[in-house]
Amino acid sequence: MLYLPGNSPNMLLRGHLFRPDGLIIDLEDSVSAGEKDAARVLVRDVLRRGDFGECEVTVRINGVGTDCWRDDIAAVVPCGISGIRAPKTETPRMVKDMDEYLSSVESKSGMSVGGIEIFCLLETALGVWNAYDIATSSPRVTAIIPGGEDLAADLRTSRGNEGTELEWIRRMIVVAARAAGVDALDTVFPNISDDDGLRREAGFVKQLGFDGKSVIHPNQIPIIHEIYAPTESEVERAERILAAAREASERGLGVAALDGRMIDAPVIRRAEFTLQRAGRARESDERRVKSCR
Amino acid sequence: MERSAAKIAQAGTVESMDCRVTITQSDGPMTIEVAGSGASRFRGAMEAKVRDVLSGLGVSPDSGLRVDVQDNGALDLVLGARVESAYLRFTGGPAS
Repeated sequence: MLYLPGNSPNMLLRGHLFRPDGLIIDLEDSVSAGEKDAARVLVRDVLRRGDFGECEVTVRINGVGTDCWRDDIAAVVPCGISGIRAPKTETPRMVKDMDEYLSSVESKSGMSVGGIEIFCLLETALGVWNAYDIATSSPRVTAIIPGGEDLAADLRTSRGNEGTELEWIRRMIVVAARAAGVDALDTVFPNISDDDGLRREAGFVKQLGFDGKSVIHPNQIPIIHEIYAPTESEVERAERILAAAREASERGLGVAALDGRMIDAPVIRRAEFTLQRAGRARESDERRVKSCR
Repeated sequence: MERSAAKIAQAGTVESMDCRVTITQSDGPMTIEVAGSGASRFRGAMEAKVRDVLSGLGVSPDSGLRVDVQDNGALDLVLGARVESAYLRFTGGPAS
């Protein structure tokens, strides 16, 4: 998921060409206070144009507690986005406030109420502490995401190369996300020239259980895809799981098994996700081969 | 708090694929000046876009506005967004 600054036509119009899985159009930190109005109009019109390939599109609005968040939601929600990224979410109350306002905008715009998802950025110690309560505070909540720079500042530390300051928090976010049934997505790796550091961090968060990672530069996208691409044995096992599940269903059996182990719904979902990721990785490989010719 | 109208307002940049729109109050009918990379090939289309956006915002052709566009390869939709932002800043609303 690639962040795009909301007041930059160049990036807004070209970001999807780098083939990230998703775009995060930013109205918050990358837009100065004096340009919030112009960015909102520009983002609205770029969204209306709607040319983003196969990317999922979300918008990082300004935080609840600022003067901007309602205007942001009113401008972008009717334009066909999947969800909003809510920065500095600290309490379930903040999510409920967004939920209520989203419902009113959806209703006024003739959209089905409840369709817009909320991705909660937990960028303070309080937000992280309330992770599970935030994740379960509205059916709209799709993912929780630890903060990076803001969170380090709130913890009275700074971001280091090893990510020590975020290690416990990342583990807690995964546990809270899994308990709540939402995705855990990781924060950005800020050093855009350190590919090895990004590769190391992405491998670590994947092992912790994170479902994906945001990036701030197009050059970081292939590294994340490479780390998250399933191995051949993972793909083969996923295909066998789905084949066994299909066969059991055709034979009217309630439960499927493979290699002596029961296959239940979460195992099937995981297998489907593995093949989905493998498909994306194969597409990425094909593009790399073509670009080398 | 009610916001007052500005005598000059700008929106946009001269970065690649963007344009800077400046609106000032003048006399007589609305005038539009286009300069920059798209001026020679797309002047007519760009002027039409400016008029279209301002008309949509309720601006009369006799408003006396002067609109200057400094273009650096802005697409139609970017020009429209910048004109709208500049005009809203010019009139002082809506609040951001």
